[in-house]
Amino acid sequence: MTDTADEEEGSTGAPSAGWPVRVTRAIGWTLVWLGALTVGFVAHQLWVTSWFAQQNQGQLAEERVAMWAETTISEVVVEAVDGAVPVEDGDDSPPIVLKVESPPELHAAFALIRILSIDRLEEGWNVVEGITLADLKTGAGHMPDTALPGQPGNAVISGHRTTYGQPFHELDSLEPGDRIEVDTALGTHVYAVRETRIVDPTEISVTEPRDGAWLTLTTCHPEFSARQRLVVFAELVDGPNLEAIEAAS
Amino acid sequence: MIRRLYRKLPGPTPVRVVLSVVIVAGALVGLHFFYDWLGTIILDPGGTVG
Repeated sequence: MTDTADEEEGSTGAPSAGWPVRVTRAIGWTLVWLGALTVGFVAHQLWVTSWFAQQNQGQLAEERVAMWAETTISEVVVEAVDGAVPVEDGDDSPPIVLKVESPPELHAAFALIRILSIDRLEEGWNVVEGITLADLKTGAGHMPDTALPGQPGNAVISGHRTTYGQPFHELDSLEPGDRIEVDTALGTHVYAVRETRIVDPTEISVTEPRDGAWLTLTTCHPEFSARQRLVVFAELVDGPNLEAIEAAS
Repeated sequence: MIRRLYRKLPGPTPVRVVLSVVIVAGALVGLHFFYDWLGTIILDPGGTVG
């Protein structure tokens, strides 16, 4: 099957090898090709996908900065949890004002997630709106219909662990109290890790709204497997909306 | 084997070279999409829940 062998068999008229030799040779070449394809697969997953992700991150950063400049920020007066509306005639207490940004367009970069205790995320990773396969190839993905970072409820962000830049590769190293920062058009929202959990991929309950303001990060678990999900819950501890959220809850 | 496949290409040498480049490029692109699909299925679909 080699060039030399082809020439020997095809052009010199030498006697062809017997079937055991031919079968052995075919099995050998099949294994060689399978090995090459496997090595190619590993190299593609580790390096090629990450190269694509890095290219996309550069582009997303520009889009995000442009998007922040165009984002409309409004203020919403919220009610305290006991039902009392703070803004009333003759009521001297200041109203509870929540800053709200206009919702991001689907697939657009709108935030930057930064975890100082993880080298790979020290400078931040862009977050896009949406969690389709295409979204997650470019950046981390914010699950639509969950709260935006810095808003009351539960903001859910998913990301790759072993491919496409591996943004959440070291998420399992987070300890309670570690800080996670998310920049949006409103400013920097700081969360503190409260809990880490391993769940099935269908465990949708981790995305449900929560009292206060929470950030939930999800990624694959264990490494190099799609069998389970690693979920990190973090609570808002600082940011432009902290006082309003604490007062309202 | 590669040399034998090359000899089976039609046309003079320049045409064969161009055809070879096109075929190799096409194979690499196809391989990229196959690897991408395989990785999404078995390695890392992105960590989404639900």
